[in-house]
Parts: sequence; C-alpha cells; structure tokens
Amino acid sequence: MKRIALAVIGALAALGVQAQDAFPSRALSMIVPFPPGGVADTTGRPTAAALEKILKQPVTIVNRPGAGGAVGNAAAANAKPDGYTMLMALSSISVIPEADKLFNRKPAYTLDQLDPIALISADPMILVVHPSLPVKTVKEVIALARKQPGELSFSSSGVYGALHMPMEMFMHAAKLQMRHVPTTGGGPALTQLLGGHVTLTAGGPAAISGHVKAGKLRTIVSWGAERHPNYPAVPTFKESGYDITYYIWAGLFVPHSTPAAVTKVLRDAVRKGVDDADFKSQMAKLNSPIQYLDAPEFAKYWDADARRLAAVVQVVGKVK
Amino acid sequence: MLETFNSLMLGFSVAFQPQVLLYAFAGCIIGTLVGMMPGLGPLAGISLLLPATFGLNPIIAIVLLAGVYYGAMYGGSTTSILMRIPGEAASVMTCVDGYAMTQNGRAGPALAIAAIGSFFAGTVGVIGLMLLAPTLASFALRFGPPEYTALLLMGLFVLAYMSGGSMTKTLAMAVLGLLLGMIGIDAMSGYTRFSFGIIELGDGVGIVPVAVGLFGVSEILLTAGQQETPRVQNPTLRQLIPSKEEFRLSAGPIMRGSLLGFMIGIIPGSAHIISSFVSYGIERRMSKHPERFGNGAIEGVAGPESANNAAATGAFVPMLALGIPTSPVTAVMIAAIMIHGISPGPMLIQEQPDLFWGFVASMYVGNVVLLILNLPMVGLFVNLLRIPYAYLYPCILAFCVLGVYSVSNSIVDVWIMLAMGGVGYVLRKFGFDLAPVALGLVLGPMLELSLRQSLAMSGGDYGIFLQRPIAVTMLALGLLLLALALKPMIFKSKDWRSKVGLEDQVE
Repeated sequence: MKRIALAVIGALAALGVQAQDAFPSRALSMIVPFPPGGVADTTGRPTAAALEKILKQPVTIVNRPGAGGAVGNAAAANAKPDGYTMLMALSSISVIPEADKLFNRKPAYTLDQLDPIALISADPMILVVHPSLPVKTVKEVIALARKQPGELSFSSSGVYGALHMPMEMFMHAAKLQMRHVPTTGGGPALTQLLGGHVTLTAGGPAAISGHVKAGKLRTIVSWGAERHPNYPAVPTFKESGYDITYYIWAGLFVPHSTPAAVTKVLRDAVRKGVDDADFKSQMAKLNSPIQYLDAPEFAKYWDADARRLAAVVQVVGKVK
Repeated sequence: MLETFNSLMLGFSVAFQPQVLLYAFAGCIIGTLVGMMPGLGPLAGISLLLPATFGLNPIIAIVLLAGVYYGAMYGGSTTSILMRIPGEAASVMTCVDGYAMTQNGRAGPALAIAAIGSFFAGTVGVIGLMLLAPTLASFALRFGPPEYTALLLMGLFVLAYMSGGSMTKTLAMAVLGLLLGMIGIDAMSGYTRFSFGIIELGDGVGIVPVAVGLFGVSEILLTAGQQETPRVQNPTLRQLIPSKEEFRLSAGPIMRGSLLGFMIGIIPGSAHIISSFVSYGIERRMSKHPERFGNGAIEGVAGPESANNAAATGAFVPMLALGIPTSPVTAVMIAAIMIHGISPGPMLIQEQPDLFWGFVASMYVGNVVLLILNLPMVGLFVNLLRIPYAYLYPCILAFCVLGVYSVSNSIVDVWIMLAMGGVGYVLRKFGFDLAPVALGLVLGPMLELSLRQSLAMSGGDYGIFLQRPIAVTMLALGLLLLALALKPMIFKSKDWRSKVGLEDQVE
C-alpha cells in the first residue's frame, strides 16, 4: 500500500517537473469583461475552444462583467503575468482609462498594464434610422439635423460606450447637435430606435441584419474603411467625405511583462487557431468577420485606435 | 385559428422528438436546481449553460435554455419559502408570506400552491405568447422611456399599498433602498457616485446580494441569537397538501397574478421584477383580511409566484416576435440562436417556424414536466427542515456565499451580501420591514434612468409625459392609487394599516 502511494507521489512529482519546462502545463483562463452572450463572449468562446485544441490544455472563460468592462479589464491588468490569465477585450478598453482621466478618478487600470497578443475580429458600425424618417443618405441626415438643431436624438449602449463614440465622431465631423439617450446595452439601444423613440443609432452589422431585411430599419452609412461585405450597397463615411472610421474589435491580451517565451506560445497558438475550421464556421455563423493581426501589427492598430478614441473622449468632454 | 392549430401541431411534432423532449427535461431539472441555489437565478443559470448549447442544434439549444429559465423561476420559490432566501429579485415577496407559512408548519401547501400557480401562469403565458405574440409585440415597442417612467411610478405608488405598520418606517426603508440604488456610474454623465474607488461598485449594488443578505443571512443570524434552539419541524403527509380553504383562497390570486404578470412581462426592460411586488400589493388590498398578510397568507405566495412566472413567459413575446433582446435573459437566449447563424429579427416566426412553434410547444411540455417534477418533490424539500439547524444553517450560509459569488465571479458581491446580512439583522431587531428596501433598490435606478432618458428625448421638457397617451393613463392611475393611500392619513380614519405590520415584528 505504502509502495503504491509512493509510486503515485513519484509520478505526480515527475509530472510536476515536466510541467516546469513547458508552457502551458495547466488550465488557462480567459477573462471576458462582459456578460455571456455579448460580442466579447461570443468571440472569446470559439477562440478558447480553438486554443484548447492547440495548447492541449483547457481554456476556461471567466465572465467578469461590470462598469462597462472596467472590472474585467482591471482584473486582467493586475493578474499574475505568467500567461495563464488572458483577456478578451473590446475596443472600449482604450476609452475607460481616458474617461477616468476626464473625471480625475484613480484609473481602474492603464493601457501599459496590458500587452496585446492578437486581434481576433473587427466590425464597423452602421448608422441606421427608423424607416419612417424621410432620409436615405448621409447628406439628407445632416441636412435634417441642421434644419432642426438639437432636435434629432440617438440612442446608445451607454455614455462613452461602443455606440456613443461613433456617434460623437460623426457629430463632431459634421458639426451637428443631437440629443443623446443612453441605455443599458446594444439591445435596448436598438429597441429604442425600433419603437421610434429616437431618430437614429449606430448598430453592429450582425445585430441589425434581421431588422434591415424586414424593413424595420434603414441603413444610411457605415464607419468602415471600406464597404462591408454583407452590406455592399451601404456607402462609407469616407466615401461621403468624412474621414471617420470606427470598428468594434475584439483582441486577446495578457498582463504586461509576461515572459516573451510564453507570449510566443500564445501568439503561435492564436495564429494556428484562427485557421481552425470549427473556429471559422463559428465566427461565420455569428456574422463576425475574422480580422487576425499578430502582436506587432495589432500593437500598431491598437495604438492608432486608442489615440483616435482618446481624441473623441477629449472632444466630448464631460457630459453636461 | 386553424392555421395556429396546424402550426402548433408542427410545434408538438418538434417538441415530442425524443431528443428535444430529453433536453426539455434536462433543462427543467437543471433550472430547478439552479433556482434553489441561493443567489443563483434564471439569468445566472442560462448564462452558465450557454456555452454548452454551442454544439447543439438551435431548437434544442433554445428549448434547453428556456427550460433552465422557467425551471429556475420555479426553483427560486423553494428556498424563499423554506429558508427565506430569495433566489432572485422576483422571489423577494414570496419570502415574506412563504417563510411565515413555513414557520406555521405550512411549508408543504406553500410549495404546492407555488408550483400550481406557476404551472397555471406558465400555461396562460404560453397561450398568450402563441395567440397574441405579433399583436402584443408591436404594442410593447410603444413603451419608450416616458411610458416606462409612468409604469415605475405606478409601481412605487403600490408601495404605499404594501406598507403596513408604521408608514414612517416603511418610507425610511424605501428611501434606504433608493439610496443604495444611487451607487454606481451615472448613466447620463459617466460620473461615478459613492463608489469609493471600488471598480466593482461602478455598476451599482446588485439586487441579488442585497436580497440574499437582507432576507437570508439576517434570518440565520436571528435564529442563532435565539435563547432556545428552534424546534425542528416534523411535517406529516397531511400537512403537505393544501387544504380546501387554501385552494379556494389561492384561485383568485393565481388568475390575477397570471394576467398581470404576462402584461408586465411583455414590456421591454426588466419590469417583470415589479410584477410580483404589484401582485402582492393588489392581493393585500383585495383581501378581506389584510392583517393575515405577512403572517403566512397563502394569497401572498400564490399571487406573486404566478405573476413572476407569467412575466417570465411574457418576456419571450418581444424576443420572438421582434427578435430584440429586451432584457438580460432574452439577450443570452438570442445569443444562443445567433451562434447557430439565425439572425434575430421580426421575420423570425416566418423564417423559423420550427424554432418558434417547437419552442412554444416545448413550453407546454416544460410546464407539465415542472409540475410533475415539483409536486412530488415538495415532500422531499420539506424534509430538509428536519435537518437540525446547527447543520442546516452553516450549509445554507456556504451556499449563499457560493451562489452570490458565482453570479459574476465577484468577491465584492459576497461582502455586500454579508454586510447586508448584518444590516438586515439590526433592522429586523428594530422592527423594520425589509421588502421596501428591495423594492427601492430595484425601482430606484430603473426610474432614474427612464426619467432622465425621457427628458433627454424631449430636451428637458416635462411635457413629454403629458403628450403620450399610455404614459398619461398610467400616471393618472398612479395618482389615484396615491390619493387612496393618503386618504386615511388625511382623514385620520383608522384602517387596517394601523393594526398590522408587513412582517412579524421580531422581539
């Protein structure tokens, strides 16, 4: 009996030694700073499944929702930098520290506390109006808004949130004034428009598609750098003469100063993972375009995006 | 009509496929267990299960999740009745009279009536969903922020009806709830209020940790502080079955609760929470013996339980007919079908008849499953009360911590729950009613948001509330209720309120 026990302990110890030299030797976790069912979650889960296959270790999703993503982002930023804790964050990651600065708050986290691993997906926002509104192009929207300054209204997922930022970009670029009706999420924001309680809103291509097909919403213009493959008839702001782009993206991060050897394993795993057939079909079903960028390119992309968003937050300033 | 019948037959042919049936069963059982976990409600249940549905086909996925959803609604009442621990906000009212019934040795009938009421309400809800979904859905969309504000105000006026004993004490507790509701990021400006640098408080104080703490933990503390060990209950089979009188008293509340819950449930937002409060208020008002409420009135279990289950079904109306996620629960369900490449929208019923009718039929099946699952289990659950308190209560406390933590993996929530347990203990020692705290906390942030949204829509003009017919009607009704509630205060006439408290005053 004793011998068996010793053998078991020996075997476990051997496993432990083996574990020392190869990352990952135990389960990993991926923090999703939003509740289940959101973009971060539906991108995170297929990614985690693809990583599991490659890393041969379970990758658990941990939803840490709260304060528009600040809770989960901060949890990841302050996690042990050993590569076992990852973060699937959305573009709002760059806005939260800026808003904290604006209000003189102790920031929940700073951007230099996180290192990018890879960009997974990116989708531009699309401006939609209620079909009863007699406008079809961005020019007509602007003309209408100028005729009734401060009378048109838009709904958003929350102040400084993913649907508020693009609208502020638009208003600033076209020098418009509109009323802002914040709600508690993308769904409620869309509901306000469908019910005709607001005039327009920015919507995700996947979230609006059913309503556009049924004629309950009218698309006007997109914030994409080029036309969206699912909406070839919808022009971009750039085509209309306004140099604004806005994407909701999802990317993978690890805490800063994670060893380079570890990040390399993760980067390689993600590179293989985005080519995984199951991953591709999952993302296609979600209408979520894969937009893979490895760490160096993603870092550049993130930097440009963060600067653009910081500028918007500064322009918006404190909401009166 | 014939068309509906044919479609429903199509639905049943889907729902009775062995695999679908199996998952409906599994969903109901998992849901019941999740609901019984203190703190874990329907939202937590379906969120935790969502990833498991990715590999299933969309019909099975939604049937499974729906099973978990209404299973958890059922299960939530069990802990409320037996241990005074609300599984979620909607069962707060059930704690009051349900637990009082348990203390009177009537736990069995309370559980049975809750199950029967939930079954009836669930069935009414499905019938409503089936026949009226498209019509009601477009009506539901007309509920914008001003209508919502009016609805919530009406809910607050019902508070005046709920109150018993000292009006001052009730209002003080409601204000405490409203104050707690002020914590967090201001939705309109982005300022953080009263968060003391704790990021987790950015979203405010959740109702789940507060309700579990105020009701559940405080009860455990109070029991621990008693001189004598409370008598362990030993129910006989006879005590498990509701008496004729109890059935008679429950019939009306169940029917009213079902209709009321369904109507409130279809409104976008999280208004379904108030359906149980409103139902309680109405039943108390209509009762010939309002003084029984708070001391174990079966109507106080039957009404709110039916209302919250009917509201749960009502919430599917805008989700299925319009394809919009109007509440966190329906958002998760929509994500579950989007993952299978079905884009939600107003064409969902036409484009996915299998999905819609299969779902409807499976809800009929699910409700029957829950009834036959739960009625025999009443005996089993009641036997939990035989466990000596020295063993039972530490276990419950551990489950409370576990449940509250797992809702959003937040240790801050656990501290809130424990602190609220202490607060609840002190307040009950001084004879305060705790239900108004929960109501204030639920309604406060919703009312603030919708009021300010309305004003943002109108550019600051309060006239918006008078320009919209639905809002005007509801405000007028609310004012009428308020006037009725104030009448005895002004004319100094004695009414039932002077004689009773909402809950037993603890000495």
